[in-house]
Amino acid sequence: MKTNRPHSVSNQAALDRALSKRQGRREFLLKTGGILAAGAFGAVPMRGWAADPVNIGALYPTTGSMAQIGVGCVAAAKLAVEMVNDAGGIKSLGGAKLNLILSDVQSDTTVTRTETDRLITGNKLSAIHGCFASALTLIASEVAERAKVPLLTGSSSDQLNKGRTYTFTPFARASQFALAQLRMSRLVSDKPKVAVVFENTAFGTSTSNGLREQAAAEGVEIVLFEPYSAGFTDASPLINKVKSSGANALFSVSYLNDLILIVRTVKQVGLNIAINGGSGGFVIPDFYKNVGKLAEGLQGVAHWNHDMDANAEKVNAEYKKRTGEFLFEYAGGLVAQTFMIADALERAASTEPQKVRDAIASLDVSTGYAAMCPGGKVKFGPDGKNIHAHPVGVQWQNGDLASVFPDEDKRAPLMKT
Amino acid sequence: MWETVAQAVINGLLIGGIYALVSIGVTLIFGVVKIVNFAQGEFVMIGMYISFFLANQFGIDPLVSLLVSMPTLFVIGVLIQHFLIRRVLGPNDMPQIFLTFALSLLLLNLALMLFSANYRTVHTSYSDEAFHFGELYIPVAKLIAFVVAMLLSGALWVFLHTTDLGKAMRAAAQNRDVAMLMGINPNRVFCVALGIALALAGAAGSLLMPFYSAYPFVGQVFVLMAFVAVVLGSLGNVIGALVASLMMGVAESLGIQFVGADSGLIVAFEYGAYRLRGNFGFVRSGVQTQCNDGEQ
Repeated sequence: MKTNRPHSVSNQAALDRALSKRQGRREFLLKTGGILAAGAFGAVPMRGWAADPVNIGALYPTTGSMAQIGVGCVAAAKLAVEMVNDAGGIKSLGGAKLNLILSDVQSDTTVTRTETDRLITGNKLSAIHGCFASALTLIASEVAERAKVPLLTGSSSDQLNKGRTYTFTPFARASQFALAQLRMSRLVSDKPKVAVVFENTAFGTSTSNGLREQAAAEGVEIVLFEPYSAGFTDASPLINKVKSSGANALFSVSYLNDLILIVRTVKQVGLNIAINGGSGGFVIPDFYKNVGKLAEGLQGVAHWNHDMDANAEKVNAEYKKRTGEFLFEYAGGLVAQTFMIADALERAASTEPQKVRDAIASLDVSTGYAAMCPGGKVKFGPDGKNIHAHPVGVQWQNGDLASVFPDEDKRAPLMKT
Repeated sequence: MWETVAQAVINGLLIGGIYALVSIGVTLIFGVVKIVNFAQGEFVMIGMYISFFLANQFGIDPLVSLLVSMPTLFVIGVLIQHFLIRRVLGPNDMPQIFLTFALSLLLLNLALMLFSANYRTVHTSYSDEAFHFGELYIPVAKLIAFVVAMLLSGALWVFLHTTDLGKAMRAAAQNRDVAMLMGINPNRVFCVALGIALALAGAAGSLLMPFYSAYPFVGQVFVLMAFVAVVLGSLGNVIGALVASLMMGVAESLGIQFVGADSGLIVAFEYGAYRLRGNFGFVRSGVQTQCNDGEQ
């Protein structure tokens, strides 16, 4: 016997089998463990000779249902970091370069929690930005708050401004979007009669309630307020209802698939009505790709648009060269966020997250890439909200999104539909 | 008022035609092979993706790609019957339920992996067009889908009633043992039944493509209505499934119009439940199957 194990084994063959299996498993663990460890350490930059790079975390869903948008966000995040580094990095830190550490949150709340945790504990981060969907950002923000690492986000949930000290939102809030949509309906008619159709989910119900609560004060009459089952097979009965309500504007709080059906059916019915598709999935290049010419003239709202100022146009041109598509709302916003972080690092002259957080809190810019947002100014209030932030009304014109509302952000005349 | 009702009925009938193609497939498989195909919706999805890629890569109109999607799915159906379902046909229902349900999950996640969750649409010249008759309108793409669906259903009826193979299928549906005693080869009949059922699902997919988006979960939307229609039309009855599908479409449309856009399905299902009271035996057997499922 090759081994002197205390218990007797009557069957030699069985023992041999067990032994060889155990050795095999150990070997397997050794190999895979080695590969895993190599992967983990490989992610840590080994550039000790120059000024130590500053680690910035970026949490975006590059797989799963939001992958399309997440991939665009990552491309923009890389572009932004390159821009900062090409301009000489962080001068107060000896020209330190920004080092982007990416993490895929897989469009999933559970994964977002573990990935944010892993990102923070595994790397010495100065700041984080992410995660596109409010549901994901809320979780990442909780983890970042506990770890005391500043997080910048373009996500619009008002919840992100409650009881948080390390979370900063440079762009318009969800509650402001509803107001902007209502005011935009006045562009169409002096006496707006609005039909609100919304999917009967948390997103649809909360957004449409926001519209209903503020409508009267804005002098907007809501003539139809209709929930529908998300993912319906046929929009015709719903549009039939819109038609008989006599509305002259239609607000659709819907995800892409339902919105496409609604837009097509409106065309088929021959209904002459101004459609406002809101934000999110409506203001990305993919929407136009799916809807085509029918998208022309449709209105929406966004927290960022690429025609706002010369800097935004410049970033947009570079992004377009790399990806072939225009720089969409969320991706454009995070480029500005990267420059806000760079500005804070410059003034903090430290990579300590706490000092970076304090520098972000005292940020006050009105020029440069960091000020690239509607209104052109960034200054955070005590709740982490940019006090100058407001949404911009946009319209699909010739396959591109043009800013048409309010007057100070208007870059193109409203196209009549 | 009458225009609103008439428009709602038109809308319901048009979408009911699509429900019919899916439910006829389900009922054919149930009638002949005596299994419930939970994956029927996923074959609609495959049909949609076939049409999408043909339109996207080669500019082929979704209606022309019927000629590709239907034969492709027919072959898939024959293969599935020959290599998978044949092995689980026995006195026990469980393996069959697991097999088709697993197939559904597998295809769904495979599509998610290969095509991602993005919505894919095909835009044809007639996608946004409609015929207008005074206040009423009929969308062209849906009218085409409805007419083709009815033609295919009619062709199936003729096949089942005039050809030897069709008669053999009906015989096998009526009494499998006696049919086998009469010299009918059950595996051959089952293969053809699966093939036809899946070809119909593929046709539904191609016909949907000009006006509906393809995405991995799309089958689930249609299969729910199809199952209700199948039970309503009494299981295994092709004409019953067709009529029931059209009625479900109309009930859903009227429900959205007059009750609320989030209660269209509820109205359709309550209508189904109301109709089923006279048909209690089937409800009981349906419930029985579900209970067994839950126990496992």
